[in-house]
Formats: sequence, structure tokens, C-alpha cells
Amino acid sequence: MDSLLSIVVFLPAAAAALLMMVPKEQHGLFRNGALAAMVATLLASIPLLTGFQTHAEMQFVTKAAWIEDFGIQYYIGLDGISLFLVLLTNVLGPLVVLSAFKAVDTRVKEFYILLLILQTGMLGAFVALDLFLFYFFWEVMLLPMYLLIGVWGGQERVYAAVKFVLYTIVGSLLMLVAILALYFIHHAQTGIYTFDLMALMQTDVPLNTQIWLFLAFGLAFAIKVPLWPLHTWLPDAHVQAPTAGSVVLAGVLLKMGTYGFLRFAIPLFPEAAVQMQKPILILSVIGIVYGALVAMVQTDIKKLVAYSSVSHLGYVVLGLFSFNMLGASGSLYQMLGHGLSTGALFLLVGIIYERRHTREISAFGGLAKGLPFFTFAFVFTTLSSIGLPGLNGFVGEFLVLLGAFGESPWIGAIAASGVVLGAAYMLWLVRRFLFGANDNPENQDLADLSGREWLVLAPLMILMVYMGVQPKPFLDRMEPALEKAYAPVLEVRASGNYSSAADLLAPFLAEREEVEPVMENTEDPAHQIGGGVR
Amino acid sequence: MDWSYTPLLFVLPLALMIPIVMLVLTNVLGPKNPSAAKSVPYESGIAPPTSAEQRFPVRFYLVAVSFLLFDVEAVFLFPWAVRFKELGWFGFGVMSIFLAILVLGLVYEWRKGGLEWD
Amino acid sequence: MLAIPEIGWSDLTPLLPFLILCVGGLVLVLIDALIRGRAGFPWAPVTALLPAAALVAYAARWGDAVGETVFGTMFIEDSFGSTVGVLICIATLLAVFLSGSYLDKVGRTRGEYYALIAFSASGLVLFASTTELLSLFLGLELLSIPVYVLSGYLRKNPLSLEAGMKYFLLGAFSSAVFLFGGALIYVTTGTTDLVEGLRLGAGSPLAQLGFLILLSGLLFKAATVPFHMWTPDVYQGAPTAVTAFMATAVKAAAFGALARVVAAGSPLWDNIPLTQVLWWVAVLTMTVGNLAALTQTNVKRMLAYSSIAHAGYLLIGLVVFSQTGDHDALSGMLYYLLAYTVMNIGAFGVVIYWANHEREHLEIPQYAGLGWRTPALGLAMSVFMISLAGIPPTAGFFGKYYIFRSAIEHGFHSLIIIAVLNSALSVYYYLRVMVALYMRKPVATLELGRSTVVGAVVAVCAVATFWIGFAPDAFSFVPGVPSIVEWVQGAAIAAR
Repeated sequence: MDSLLSIVVFLPAAAAALLMMVPKEQHGLFRNGALAAMVATLLASIPLLTGFQTHAEMQFVTKAAWIEDFGIQYYIGLDGISLFLVLLTNVLGPLVVLSAFKAVDTRVKEFYILLLILQTGMLGAFVALDLFLFYFFWEVMLLPMYLLIGVWGGQERVYAAVKFVLYTIVGSLLMLVAILALYFIHHAQTGIYTFDLMALMQTDVPLNTQIWLFLAFGLAFAIKVPLWPLHTWLPDAHVQAPTAGSVVLAGVLLKMGTYGFLRFAIPLFPEAAVQMQKPILILSVIGIVYGALVAMVQTDIKKLVAYSSVSHLGYVVLGLFSFNMLGASGSLYQMLGHGLSTGALFLLVGIIYERRHTREISAFGGLAKGLPFFTFAFVFTTLSSIGLPGLNGFVGEFLVLLGAFGESPWIGAIAASGVVLGAAYMLWLVRRFLFGANDNPENQDLADLSGREWLVLAPLMILMVYMGVQPKPFLDRMEPALEKAYAPVLEVRASGNYSSAADLLAPFLAEREEVEPVMENTEDPAHQIGGGVR
Repeated sequence: MDWSYTPLLFVLPLALMIPIVMLVLTNVLGPKNPSAAKSVPYESGIAPPTSAEQRFPVRFYLVAVSFLLFDVEAVFLFPWAVRFKELGWFGFGVMSIFLAILVLGLVYEWRKGGLEWD
Repeated sequence: MLAIPEIGWSDLTPLLPFLILCVGGLVLVLIDALIRGRAGFPWAPVTALLPAAALVAYAARWGDAVGETVFGTMFIEDSFGSTVGVLICIATLLAVFLSGSYLDKVGRTRGEYYALIAFSASGLVLFASTTELLSLFLGLELLSIPVYVLSGYLRKNPLSLEAGMKYFLLGAFSSAVFLFGGALIYVTTGTTDLVEGLRLGAGSPLAQLGFLILLSGLLFKAATVPFHMWTPDVYQGAPTAVTAFMATAVKAAAFGALARVVAAGSPLWDNIPLTQVLWWVAVLTMTVGNLAALTQTNVKRMLAYSSIAHAGYLLIGLVVFSQTGDHDALSGMLYYLLAYTVMNIGAFGVVIYWANHEREHLEIPQYAGLGWRTPALGLAMSVFMISLAGIPPTAGFFGKYYIFRSAIEHGFHSLIIIAVLNSALSVYYYLRVMVALYMRKPVATLELGRSTVVGAVVAVCAVATFWIGFAPDAFSFVPGVPSIVEWVQGAAIAAR
């Protein structure tokens, strides 16, 4: 089964190639064909889960020469970090296709082909272990998303789409330069030209260079996450994108940024990561609070959810840069959780938009009576999103906050306030959106969830519950890979011979000396926490 | 440094000086006695029928350009003639090709009507 | 007295590609004179035989191209020159097919047009295979004069006339400048062989000045800042097929010659000033090109500024080469030229395809919704735009990667950061075409033309754009055939 992973990655693209040959009037064929391809991809990825061994090494590895003259390889593999992100992508895939059955009735052929190509791009980026290949897939994702927003989007779609591309490309081109620089540093040390991630991780990069390279990688990822203050493309893109685009964007594409930090930026440049920790922590905390505050004043439901993403992704980055296992596993968990709950929220917003063609909160109110099932699903997802214990959001957020407290109580405290704010704006939204008096005549007889819409939402809701009550199977599989990813950073910190560039926040620095021993004791934190949750 | 061009440096100001001196001196020394009859274009007395500033038919240019083209060939023929012996049959062949190309040009011009006045 | 070098008929065989193109041009003139302008002669296919035959000649003599000079030191046959020559022939071949359909559409099919293309191509291949001042000048004039005429070919169209006149005046001036630079070098060193001469002239201020003047004459042909003023007007005004020819074939030859001249000029200084001059030219070229392209609405004008910007990227290869002598930088440049040729010819091909007998559609807003109306052409145009923007998996991306690669290796960090930001900037205006194609409602029903031949050229270019980008080592599985990468590397090593 050496080629299993390749099959999973390229199945959607192969289906897209087949669909290209079908005449474009066959709308049903495109819908069902795309759905079938996505389901097949999901099914094909199940052996990845069942055959997954709980250890830190790469599995399902395929390695072949691609462009030999430059040492570029087709090198893919899976570990505990990418496994669940691949699964998340594949779970969302069919649901996204299904959700668009009614919403997309123009240019049906192109829509589904682009979705399938996008799927391959995302899967490829998650499993690529050759930096050139990663960059390749990273950019392959760009154009389908651009077209999805620009063609099927709302009023301001062109502006949003171009902004999305320009932001992304500035970051990614600098990343390409950094990749090449690393490649040559590696060559200078070993005499081998390679983009192999595993080999490049052994490269000894001087601290000064590390910081530059880290910044270049970090910029690309921070734009994608998006980290405050680079987030401004996100609300535009989300609001203008069609529902399917929003779901993919929130569910998977944003994780590409945090995944990049976890897979590339932190392990490749551990010393720089330690140096840059404080600034990034501060930015992420600002993002958490800022996203929440801005979400609170939105009048458009989709924009509100978009800003909530900024806030939630702030947690993810916070966890990643807490540099302890609690924060790291919490943050990976939060990536999955956010994918499910925010994906579901965008789907729900899309469902109501299809009926009313508006997303203004003020146009709604009192829907609970007429749409009980919709209300149930919406409230359920909201609770998952704000981190109610027993649902997925809680585990991730809780672990991240624990990790952050372990690193710096101040930061943890401020971040925790984001949880309160999150609950506030989401519940306030529910209050204005679903409850109260139903006084708008246009809202009187809206149809409740259809069977197809149930089919889209139910798997997500089931997973939310499952991830809320059973975190252990997930955390167990993640942990070895996370430990491996963080080993270089922890080593740097344990050696203690790093001088801080982060005098920005002197009071927090004093804190760290006390905290440090604690971190080394957290050998098996997730188990303790997971146990607590159960 | 190659000094063999140094004489040019002296010739250059000299070459500039001569026309300037000539123009200035004729103006200064020459007696001037202007009258109406003297300033007509043809001092022989024939009055020009129209203004001299008028357009020529474009065909004059065509002829002029053709003349130039076929005249310049001499520039290539002279050095060949000077070195005829050293260049031998190869030189002869090359010059034949060159002349053949010229003939081709003539054929082209002829067929395209470049030699006809009307 | 100068000794007469040993020359004979055998000196002609290495010049076979040139002879094919040149004699072919003469034959075309003769045919035109004999049939007296009767319609129906298959001009484009017959003309296309010439670059095709030249390609065969290059292939046949590939192994013999080992850097020997012919006619004394007038010309050199090496794989660098052959590679640039192959690029020129490919570009000419594609441009000739575009021309056939274009001239039919504008109703100005004349034999002279094709003869001029053939003459210009012959000048281009000469230009790329010499390091000697006189033959360099010969090539320069031979390639330029036909292009002046071609730019003004549509003599009833004021824009085309303006283009022809402007290009002619400025081009003649730049030729004079070039000649002056060459004269200074000759005066200082007493030889017209560049490599030999510049070695002799090392350290001499007069030779250095002459070299810089000579260089500026070449930079004019390559459309680089500050010698770029003519480019937008000429590219916009010239017949579209000629623009495609100028943007690809002429550019390839200009950069081929530049590489040779820069290589020859490196002993003049301790290298630093030359690199710095080129550094600034590169930075200015890409920045000015990209900034000006941002606001263009005419597709030809936009592509003109984009070609200036691309000249800037190409110069990066020369900057690196001039300082380090690393042939990898040159192979990146050659690779980029190949990529640039296919994507640019393709883009102009789409423009020509859409033109109808009445008019061309050159304003980008006119393309609104065309991606849906003609899906294949729209897709092809998107591929070319993506490639020009340097987004994978296209030739443009890999070319940029290749050029940036050697620059990063040698520590030209600021240059690369500027190039990268520029290339991000350029995405904006390339995407504008895609925005029009796919995201705007058609304003009015536009009468589109069509052409099978141009469609085929566009398809070939689109496939090549993908293929070169996705599998740069294509064909390496065929024994004895080098991959594109190996090919350009071999050529760059041979550069003299």
C-alpha cells in the first residue's frame, strides 16, 4: 500500500480531469460525480487512519525523483500531525460538495472541477515532505480559491479575490526565497542539493540567518492563519466567497498557516522560534481579543463568523508558541475543532442565505419557532464554537489556555478573556438571530432543514460530540509527532543559551524562569487533561 | 597607448577653423552694394515662375534610393579588386554571389514597378 | 597591415542556419516579385519552412558546435549560440504562423512581410553567435532594419506608423551609440575582437567607457530601463504578430548577445562596477515595468510593460553572472527565455485569435466574460497569465525559480527581495485579465474572430507552458536527449 497516500491526494484531481471531458450541460453528473469523488477520497483515506501506527515517524511514505537536476523529489508522508488534517479535509470535502447542490446553479462544471483541484492542492500541501513540493501544492491551492471567490462570490467578489491572492502571494514568494536560501545553506554544509525536509532539519543555520528565514516562512504562514494584523483579507474573502468556498477556507485553508508553523517554521528554525516567541504570542493574543471585539459589532452574520475565526486561530497560534505539549496538542486539536464548528457555522449561514438572500442580523429574529431544527443545529454549533465542555471546542481551547498559562500567566489570562468575549458575541448573535419576536414578514414561512442539509450537518455534529468526549484517540496519535516537532525547540530552551530578543515584554521574561522547570515535567500532559475531560 | 591618431587632434581644429575664417573674412572684407536686381534668384534676369519651395514627386526619392543602393556596391568591389589575387576563386565566388543578390534586387524592383515613372 | 585570415567555403557550413534564413528571405522576395502580388500563395507555411530548416541545421550540427570561430574570429559556433538560435527559430516559427492569420484578418497579406521576418531572423541568429564588434554590428542592423519596417507595416494605421517611425529613429540612434562604443574600444585596443580587445583594454578608462556605451546600445534592444521609452508605443502600435516576434525572438537574441558581451567585458574592471551597473538596471527595469503595467488597460501595452519587467528578471541572471562567472545564472536566463517565449507567443496568439476582420479587441475590459464564451481560449489565456505571473505549475514559475536560485546562492539578497516583491506586484495586473475573462459580465456582444492555425499555436504554447513548468527535465528519459535543464546548463558553460 505504498501508493495509498498518493491515491488519496490525486483522486480528486483525477476525477476533475475526467469531469472536464463531460459536456457542461450535465449538471447532475457534475454534482454526483464530484460527490462520488470526494466520498471515494474519504473512503480511501480510512486505511490511513486504521493503518496508522502511533509513533513519531513518517508513514505511508512515497519518495521518487521529480526534477533530479535540482534535487527536487516527490516525497510525501503522514504523521500524527498531518493525519487528522488530511482526514478533516476529506470529511469536509463531500459535505462541501453536497452543500453546493442547490446554491450553485451557474457554471456548475467549472465549480466542481475547481473544488476537486483545490482538494488535491490542500491534501498535497498537508502531506508534502519536500519543501519544493510543498510550495508547489501551496500555490496550486491559490488559483482555485481565487476563482471560487471571484466567480461565484458576492457583490465585491473581485476585490476580495484579488486581495486574497495578493496577500497570499507576497508571503509565499518570500517563503520561496527562504526555502532556496535554506537549500543552499544545506548544500554548503553537506554538498548535497535537496529539498528534503528531514535532511534540511539537520542543517545548522546561524541564529541571525535563522531569524530572517523564520520571518520569511512566518510571514507566509501568518498571512494564511491569519495572524493579527495580517488578517484583513479574511473578512473580505469570507463574506464574498460562496458558502462552499467559505467552508473550505475556514475549515482547511486557514489551517495551512498553522500547520506550516508546526511542520516547517518551528522545527526548521528552533532558535529563531524561541527568539520570536514573545512577539508572536503577543500578536496572537491581540488577535484573540481584537477578533472577538470586532466580531461583536458586526451586523453581517458571515462577517461575524469570519472575525470569530481570527479570534479562534489566535488560540491556535498561542498554543503553538507556548512551546509545551499542552499548548501544542491543544492547538492541533483546536485546528480540527475549528474546522468542524466554523465549517458548520458557515454552512448554516449559507443555508439561511439561500432562503432569505440576506445575512444582516437585523433582518432576522425569532426564527426558533418556525425553524426548530435549524435552530437546534445552529445553537449546537455555536456551543461547540464557544467551547462548551463535552463538545470539541472545549478540549482544544482548554489545552491551549493551560499551555499558555504554563508559559506566561499574563498571556494566558488575557487569552482566557477571549473565551468570555467569544461566548458573549456568539450567544448575542443567537439571541438576535434566532430568538425574540419574529416580526419580519419575510421570515414567516421559511422552510426548515431539508434532508440534504441534514446530511451535510449531521456528520459534523456527530464529530463535534465525539471529539468533545473522546479526545484520547486523537491526542494519543498526535503526541509522538508533536514531541518530535518540538524536540529541537525544547532542546534550545533547555540549553538556555539563547538571549532574548523579546525585551518588548520584560515582565513576562521574569516569569519564564519560574515556569521553565514545569514544562520539563509535563511529560504526559495530554493524558492528564484528556482524563479530566472524560 | 596608441599615439598614431594624435595628428587627428591637430587636424580637427584646423578643419574647423578654415570654413569659419573664410566665412567671416568674406563678410568683413567683401564690398557690399545690394540692389533689387542683385537679390533675385537668377542674376541672368529670368524671373522664377513659382516659389522654389515646392514638393517633388515621390518618384525622385525612389530613383535616388535605387541609385544609392546600386552605387554602394562599388564600396565592396574596390577592396576585392585590390586583393583579387590573394582572395582567389573563393573571393570570386563570393563576389559573384554578392552581385547575384544585387541582380535579384534589380529584378525585384523591376517587377514591382519601381523603375516605371507612371 | 592586417593579415588576411584563412577563409574558404568550409567557413560557411557553421553559418548554415543563418544562410537558410537569409537565402530563404531572398527566395521569398523573388517569389513575391514573380507572382506579382497574386493572392493565394501559402506564404506562412512556406516561410515557416525556413526556421524549421534552421532548427534541423542546428540539430544536425549540435555535436560540432564546440566553440570554433569562422571567418577569422568573426563568428563563433558554440552551443550557447546554438541554443539562443534555437530559441529564436522556435519564436520565429510560432510568430510566422500567427502572422499568417493576422495578416489575413487585417487584409494586408504581402510577400515582403515574410521576407522581412526571414531577414530579421537571420540577423538575430548572427547576433547571438558572435563576439566580434563588426559582426555584432552587422547582426544588429540586419535584425533591426526589417523590424523597423515591420513595426510600421500597417501604413494606414497611425499607431503603427508612429511605432515604425519611433522605433526607427531611436533604433538608429542606439545603433550609432553602439557603434561609437565599439569605436572607442577599437581605438584603445586596436582589435575588433571583443574578448581579445577587452582583455587588452583592462583598466583603460577609454575602453571602459566604450564598453558601457556599447552595453547601452544592447540594453536598448533588450528594452531595459532607462532605454525602454520606445517599448510601449512600439509594442502597442506594431502589428500584433510583429509584437509577438519582437517580444520573444528579438529579446532572446538581445539577451544572448548581452550575455556574451558581459562575459567578454568582465576583465575590464575588477568586476564590481559592471555588476553594480547591471544591478541598478535590473532593479529599475523590473520596478518601472511593473509599476507602469499596473494601470494599463490595453492588453498589448500591458504586455509591453510586462516584457520590460521580464527583462528585469532576465537581467538578474546577468548580474549574478557578471560578478561570479557562475554559468548556472546564465542557464537560468536561457531557461527563462524559453519559458517567456512560449507564454508570450501564446498570449499574443489569443489576442490575434479573437481579432475579427473589422478590428482587434485590445482593451482588457472588452474581454469581459470571454472565458465562458470561448472556454478553451480563455483557459489558455489564463495559463499564460498565470505563467507570466510566475505561479506554479507553469513554465514562468520554474523559470523564475531558476533565475532566483543562482542569485540566492551567491547572496544577492536585496536584489531577490526586490524581484520577489515585484513579482507579487505583477500578479495584480496579470490577474486583471483573468478577472475580465471570468468575473465580469460581458458589456456588449463582441464579434469574435477565429482561426484554426492560431488556435493550434496557442494550444502548443499552452501545453508547452505546462510541460516546461511541470517537468523541466522532460525528455530526459529518451537516451541521448538532454533534459531542458541539462541543455541550458551545457549551453551556459559554453558561453564565451
